[in-house]
Amino acid sequence: MKQLIPLSLITLVLLSGCVQEVKPWEKETLAKETMEPAGGNTLARKFQEHIYFSKEASKGGGGVAGGGCGCN
Amino acid sequence: MKTLLLIFLVILQLSAYQKGDLISEEMAAHLGLQKDKLYVIDFFASWCGSCKKEIPLICALDNTKIDHIKVEIIGIDVDQKVDEGIAFQKRLKEEHNLNFRIINDPQNLIISDFAPLGMPTLYYLKDRKVLKVLTGAVDNIDKQILNDLKSME
Repeated sequence: MKQLIPLSLITLVLLSGCVQEVKPWEKETLAKETMEPAGGNTLARKFQEHIYFSKEASKGGGGVAGGGCGCN
Repeated sequence: MKTLLLIFLVILQLSAYQKGDLISEEMAAHLGLQKDKLYVIDFFASWCGSCKKEIPLICALDNTKIDHIKVEIIGIDVDQKVDEGIAFQKRLKEEHNLNFRIINDPQNLIISDFAPLGMPTLYYLKDRKVLKVLTGAVDNIDKQILNDLKSME
C-alpha cells in the first residue's frame, strides 16, 4: 500500500503530460450539436428528452449554454 | 488543494490581458491602432452562441451612437474555418447592417496573444493600454458599451 501511493502519484504526473488544455477560442468542434449526447440523432435526442421531462416533470435546460465557449 | 487551485487560477489570469496591461507594439500595428483613439475590440466566432446574441446589438450601436472620430469598434473573427466566418459576417451585414472593421484570425494569433478566459470577450483599448475587459455573455451589451464609453471619454 505504501508503495502504491508514490507509484500512483508518479503515474499521474507522467499522464499529465498527455493533457492539453482546450482554450475558449478552440471549442468550435466541442460546440457542435453532434458533440452532445445523442446530438446528431434527432429521434434519439427527442426520446431522451421525453424520458427526462416525464421523469423530472420539467423541460429544457439540457443544452450547453453559449455553444460550449466557456461564456456562461 | 485549495492553494493549488488558487495558484492555477492566478497562472490562468496572468496569461490573459487585464485592466492596465499594455499590448505589444507589434500587435497594435497588426490591428492598425492609432494613438489617442479609443478602441472596442470584440472577439467572436460563428459557432459561439453568446457571440451570435451580442454581435447584432453591437452592430446596431455602431450605426447610430458612436463618435467614429474618437471611437472605433473592431471585430476579431476567430473562426478557424475562414469560409464559415465569412458566411457569418455576410449574414451579419445583410441582416444587421454590420459595418465596423472585421479582422479574420483563422490562425488564432491575435486571440492567443490576448488569451481571454471565455468567448465572447470585449476589450477597451486606448494608447495600447487595456482599460476594461468584459468576458462572457453580457446582458444588454449595447447599453453596457455606451455606459463604459461615457465613463472613459
